[in-house]
Amino acid sequence: MWRGLWTLVARAARGPRRPCTRQGSGAPAPASGATVFALSSGQGRCGIAVIRTSGPASGQALRSLTAPRDLPPARKACLRLLSDPRSGEPLDRALVLWFPGPQSFTGEDCAEFHVHGGPAVVSGVLQALGSVPGLRPAEAGEFTRRAFAHGKLSLTEVEGLADLIHAETEAQRRQALRQLDGELSHLCRGWAETLTKALAHVEAYIDFGEDDNLEEGVLDRADSEVRELEVALGAHLRDARRGQRLRSGAHVVVAGPPNAGKSSLVNLLSRKPVSIVSPEPGTTRDVLETPVDLGGFPALLSDTAGLREGVGPVEQEGVRRAQKSCNFLDTVVIPAGAGSPNGRSQRLLLVLNKSDLLPAGGPDPSADLPPHLLLSCLTGEGLDGLLEALRKELAALCGDPSTGPPLLTRARHQHHLQGCLDALGHYKQAKDLALATEALRVARGHLTRITGGGGTEEILDIIFQDFCVGK
Amino acid sequence: MFSFRGCSRWVAVSLTKQHHPSSRFSGDSAAPWTPRFDVVVIGGGHAGTEAAAAAARCGSRTLLLTHRVDTIGQMSCNPSFGGIGKGHLMREVDALDGLCSRICDQSGVHYKVLNRRKGPAVWGLRAQIDRKLYKQNMQKEILNTPLLTVQEGAAEDLILTEPEPEHTGKYRVSGVVLVDGSTVYAESVVLTTGTFLRGMIVIGLEMHPAGRLGDQPSIGLAQTLEKLGFVVGRLKTGTPPRIAKESINFSILNKRTPDNPSIPFSFINETVWIKPEDQLPCYLTHTNPQVDEIVLENLHLNCHVKETTKGPRYCPSIESKVLRFPNRLHQVWLEPEGMDSDLIYPQGLSVTLPAELQEKMITCIRGLEKAKMIQPGKENASCPSHQCFYYFLPFILWPGYGVQYDYLDPRQITPSLETHLVQRLFFAGQINGTTGYEEAAAQGVIAGINASLRVRHKPPFVISRTEGYIGVLIDDLTTLGTNEPYRMFTSRAEFRLSLRPDNADSRLTFRGYKEAGCVSQQRYERATWMKSSLEEGISVLKSIEFPSSKWKNLIPEASISIGKSLPLRALDVLKYEEVDIELLAKAVPEPLKKYTKCRELAERLKIEATYESVLLHQQQEIKEVQRDEALQLPKDLDYLTLRDVSLSHEVREKLHFSRPQTIGAASRIPGVTPAAIINLLRFVKTTQQRQAAMDRLPKTDQHLCNTDKLEGRQL
Repeated sequence: MWRGLWTLVARAARGPRRPCTRQGSGAPAPASGATVFALSSGQGRCGIAVIRTSGPASGQALRSLTAPRDLPPARKACLRLLSDPRSGEPLDRALVLWFPGPQSFTGEDCAEFHVHGGPAVVSGVLQALGSVPGLRPAEAGEFTRRAFAHGKLSLTEVEGLADLIHAETEAQRRQALRQLDGELSHLCRGWAETLTKALAHVEAYIDFGEDDNLEEGVLDRADSEVRELEVALGAHLRDARRGQRLRSGAHVVVAGPPNAGKSSLVNLLSRKPVSIVSPEPGTTRDVLETPVDLGGFPALLSDTAGLREGVGPVEQEGVRRAQKSCNFLDTVVIPAGAGSPNGRSQRLLLVLNKSDLLPAGGPDPSADLPPHLLLSCLTGEGLDGLLEALRKELAALCGDPSTGPPLLTRARHQHHLQGCLDALGHYKQAKDLALATEALRVARGHLTRITGGGGTEEILDIIFQDFCVGK
Repeated sequence: MFSFRGCSRWVAVSLTKQHHPSSRFSGDSAAPWTPRFDVVVIGGGHAGTEAAAAAARCGSRTLLLTHRVDTIGQMSCNPSFGGIGKGHLMREVDALDGLCSRICDQSGVHYKVLNRRKGPAVWGLRAQIDRKLYKQNMQKEILNTPLLTVQEGAAEDLILTEPEPEHTGKYRVSGVVLVDGSTVYAESVVLTTGTFLRGMIVIGLEMHPAGRLGDQPSIGLAQTLEKLGFVVGRLKTGTPPRIAKESINFSILNKRTPDNPSIPFSFINETVWIKPEDQLPCYLTHTNPQVDEIVLENLHLNCHVKETTKGPRYCPSIESKVLRFPNRLHQVWLEPEGMDSDLIYPQGLSVTLPAELQEKMITCIRGLEKAKMIQPGKENASCPSHQCFYYFLPFILWPGYGVQYDYLDPRQITPSLETHLVQRLFFAGQINGTTGYEEAAAQGVIAGINASLRVRHKPPFVISRTEGYIGVLIDDLTTLGTNEPYRMFTSRAEFRLSLRPDNADSRLTFRGYKEAGCVSQQRYERATWMKSSLEEGISVLKSIEFPSSKWKNLIPEASISIGKSLPLRALDVLKYEEVDIELLAKAVPEPLKKYTKCRELAERLKIEATYESVLLHQQQEIKEVQRDEALQLPKDLDYLTLRDVSLSHEVREKLHFSRPQTIGAASRIPGVTPAAIINLLRFVKTTQQRQAAMDRLPKTDQHLCNTDKLEGRQL
């Protein structure tokens, strides 16, 4: 392998030196890292949404979406038809801007797409960008961080950055939690687990296959696991339903003791009979969800079973689901009763229903309760006040530009799932085991972007747990 | 000047009788007879020898202080070097002109590259080594290294002085006190005491201090280090019994023959010293349920296994194998200890049972039915390595044993291996919680280089984890610490495809030559030639383009699909498993023929082609990591009291303990959040602006000129 050189070196040293200094042939072009993209404008209803890219492949991205035209003149807004580079399907007519680096916000090549604000358009453009080679969704605060690295931000501007990143990661975490509640969560975690295990076994085969006796068929098992994973991922990505409820908007849960009038409130807010109401406690036994528009903000309203103990199994399950539901909510509306149902600090509106039953002009029965609203679902009295309070809460939640919209989260998911699937394809093709493992590492990297985790220690833990290796 | 003196003076007296602490062996006849050196290295093991030689190569007058000259180069555990991941480390040590790879090329008895079928990025160069030869060759090398003096003696204490104000640290080391009370002054001190810090040997229920000669001075040192405030932990490791060669029935066992041809470890060697046909084979046998039974029945006689001292997650001993993976057959490799050695090393049989039970256990293994454990009395004459063991182990038999020892939490050292606490004091090897000769050697080279650079007021020589396994090793240790003996695996390296055994020279030799001065001119020229030849070769391979159908005609052996009409570069064709430069040059003799002449060059071109497309992608990730690593954090930050930065208490404590030197390292510490990183970034930027303003002022104080400029260098 590394032999036979000495004579040549000696010869080279003796004889006239060979003209062998053609530089940079094998070196890659000086790229300054990956190119990232993100929705830069806030969530909620808007006429125009701004999507930005930053990095060396920005020009490429701009050209791919507006093909076959050339780049627009620098820093001049131009109208272009955006289309998906894979399918050619038109996405939107949009203003595009091209900022060649270093005269740009981040100091790198940047592109901006000012598209119409509908969720379908935005998610279409984001997915199209995700399919351009070299592009990936931006991490929290990545644009600002890049700008900072290129000396484009003053120190005062950076001060807000840490808070922003904190808020963004927190919001993303909650977003991810919420999105991952349900089927997709089980799928993703299951896939990540399978993949980590397969990777750990292949890594073990590399690091210990020769010296220690791993059981037979370690590689074959990993291969078949990867094949199954590939099929599952492929099916998931092709499936239009994706087993995933897109929860657009804040999650508002109505919770409280039985017979407080939760279902009446839900029906009132959604202006349609979502839940059956009756004077009998325990009428609602499951979590009922309905998308509503509350003061201009999209929200998912959940009616829950009354929180009480000592009832039949069906209702108990309903209570359990109600409590679980409260773990993923943004706002809890509680008609009557005090305190958060699960003791966590969440946005909480305490609402006392059936105010029509209070004796007029009588003493306030709730003087010692925390701040609350009085409401009568029967007469509609107090509804305006409740709506206003809800609007404020939702504005605080949704108006915050740092909260990633669900469709962005969905674009991320899709980007990483597709990336994972592509990498698994490379695993199959690779004959060199180091290359194959690299493909698995990349695939796992994509999945762990969705589920979290992903360190080397995790791999080593599995190796040492599953195999007897050592001296 | 003040000194932390240890205890037990009377022991020191008794020790000096057996040593010759005043005898110095010098490879440099011109070395002045004065106890004042640039660099003093304490310990003559694998880390110590590399450190001493590296410091001397860098041009520092160096003293290697060791208990006994005749134990220099002692392989105290397995009779082998290299392996998967470890072989990578050896190539990197060699690229920095370190010793162990070259010595192994002169001392092996069985050379074999592991993982041959798994891709060149994970090939593991490995060899069985003749203990006696290795020791001889290492001693010859060490005793003939210019500027390097060797002295027998045991260090008892460190001499400490006031710290230099322009660097962080509470003290500065300025020399060593020996057990005989004499002193040696030094500008830098490298501590490589291995398992000697309060070492205890465990066999069954018996525990003995790790050697009459070894333990006392190291207890003194251990106390000094503890008094200074170093955080100390405890680890354990073990070694198997040795078996008499003639008592083994090899005829019924699986034989493993060495590679033909043998692949040398060192970039500057074309061949190894011994022909493949003269090399010794290894043999494979397995444990059986009887072994499990003996282990399980006698757990109560085995305090090493029961103790809570942290052992590794992997299985270090047959006891842990049986306990964690019951009802399985475990491999036992029977490895030769040397050309003329009567000993066989049963790899995989590390055990701490009482000696007589060890013998009982061994004799129920296939091929070992009549095996005899070696008695050092008989062995004395034929195996010189026994001396070391005698000094470890004053027992009648030579059973396997466990060792428990102190290590210092490696988060207390910088990536240049200098301690945060004591300026110019460097730690390398097992003292930092690692296991293995190669891990020790790798740290030794880095500690030696940096000890020397420090004396010469030059910036430290740090290898990033994007540049080498050495970087991965040191970054893992210094940012994450370890609670099991740290061992290198290729799975620890995230840029495994770039950090290959074949290209260690192009990654490290140039830096070693230019920044550290630890690389010989000869090696540098060779690496330069290789690099330019590779670059030229790759560009030539890229320039040759034919349609795939033509390639298919030229090289019918290759499984090229001719479906696509796109032209293929020669480099793409070389990616096919079955194609090599030889085959390619037959198809296109001009200009490729000349690349077949040097086998190493041909092999390396093939490897570059294999990984070309993936490396392009990996290069991007490497750049991102390097960008973070270019952002230096001030070394003297007091994270606990720092007011200008908003950091949580938890993050402050983590940063305070690990003292990351770059933003990149900080971001790898578990629990340090992205927001904290940004706050740190902002702080660095502000500090730099202030520093820049300071730099514009006229310099009146000499100290300012000497200040390490690295802090303000990048971003």
